[in-house]
Amino acid sequence: MSRTLNENTSNELHRTLCDLLVLSEADDCLLCDTGGYVLAREGDGDHDPYQMAALGAGVYGASRELARLLGEREFNVVLHQGTQKSIFICAVHADALLVIVFSQNASAGLVKLYAKPAAVAVRALLEDARRLAMEAEDLAGHPLVLNRAGPLFRAGP
Amino acid sequence: MSFVNFKKKEVQLKIVYYGPGMSGKTTNLQVIHRMINPTARGDLTSVATSGERTLFFDFMPLVAQAFEGYETRFQLYTVPGQVIYNLTRRLVLRGVDGMVFVADSQWSKMAENAESLANLADNLALQRERLGDIPCVLQYNKRDVPDATPLHYLEYLLNNRDVQLPTFNAVATTGEGVFETLNMIARLVLHRFLAVNKHKEDGVRELVLV
Ligand SMILES: Nc1nc2c(ncn2[C@@H]2O[C@H](COP(=O)(O)OP(=O)(O)O)[C@@H](O)[C@H]2O)c(=O)[nH]1
Ligand SMILES: [Mg+2]
Repeated sequence: MSRTLNENTSNELHRTLCDLLVLSEADDCLLCDTGGYVLAREGDGDHDPYQMAALGAGVYGASRELARLLGEREFNVVLHQGTQKSIFICAVHADALLVIVFSQNASAGLVKLYAKPAAVAVRALLEDARRLAMEAEDLAGHPLVLNRAGPLFRAGP
Repeated sequence: MSFVNFKKKEVQLKIVYYGPGMSGKTTNLQVIHRMINPTARGDLTSVATSGERTLFFDFMPLVAQAFEGYETRFQLYTVPGQVIYNLTRRLVLRGVDGMVFVADSQWSKMAENAESLANLADNLALQRERLGDIPCVLQYNKRDVPDATPLHYLEYLLNNRDVQLPTFNAVATTGEGVFETLNMIARLVLHRFLAVNKHKEDGVRELVLV
């Protein structure tokens, strides 16, 4: 089965993440799953969201294993602070993550404060999306037709 | 677990290159990165130790027009082959849609090949999946080495099963077999993607096998 997002859920996610960016004064915000899939992205960062998701999911997974080593169930957030940019990662549920990038003039405290309710809202949206997918309403009306023009990838320009 | 965003008209699929340490997984991605049209790929990110051994994973996104009107993104990962990094391998396997098993043709590596393939099966079982249910292509790499193991022995060791996996011979360092392998796994992943979503009537109207 595929994870799917329809237009409605996409719009709701968009709204939730935009609100989060405004309130927390962060620059960039990414919703991904623990496998590294990019579910949604808002903000004005110029970094590749696919790279961010792959690495963010890796970092979060590694930190979860570290927690386990220490006998913790999990660390609830991962925070990396740089001089210009910082990154904050928290779980939305067992297999989705919010990755938030903020700069010096925002505060980690503010990001943390608003990430929590945003994560709760996002979780509800994802659960709705999953239920919709189960009810088979989702791929219906979205025919995917395979292109058949030879090999997908080629060496050379 | 593939991902479809109907609003963005985007499909994301995850392909993992698996195999023993030093078999040529990273080299496959490097060659694709170097040879493919730059508009079809993102950066190749390697989380490696100073000795160039893959510590965490390599990652590179590719984009193709696999479905009409949709952008299809293939997320390519490699795993670290060394036995001690099994936790990392499990993390990378999460949500995998297709695998390339890169075997090392050197005669001295046969035990490591077999062990790594068994390890893949174990790790898939932990996420309630099976080799055979998820598309997988076998790449017999390093066919250029002087002591290259005969193909029939590799087949016997790694592909002795009811439904055999597609195989490709490769010399990843020269690019030989690299794109053939990639195109085959991409195609198998697309076919499975269509097949598993097909029960949703009309959702996928046309399953074109090419
Ligand atoms: N002779 C030969 N060497 C190869 C081939 N493919 C990769 N190598 C070399 O094998 C070593 C390990 O390759 P690497 O891609 O880092 O392996 P990984 O651990 O599977 O990622 C490197 O020195 C490569 O240059 C091949 O087809 N033939
Ligand atoms: Mg490597």
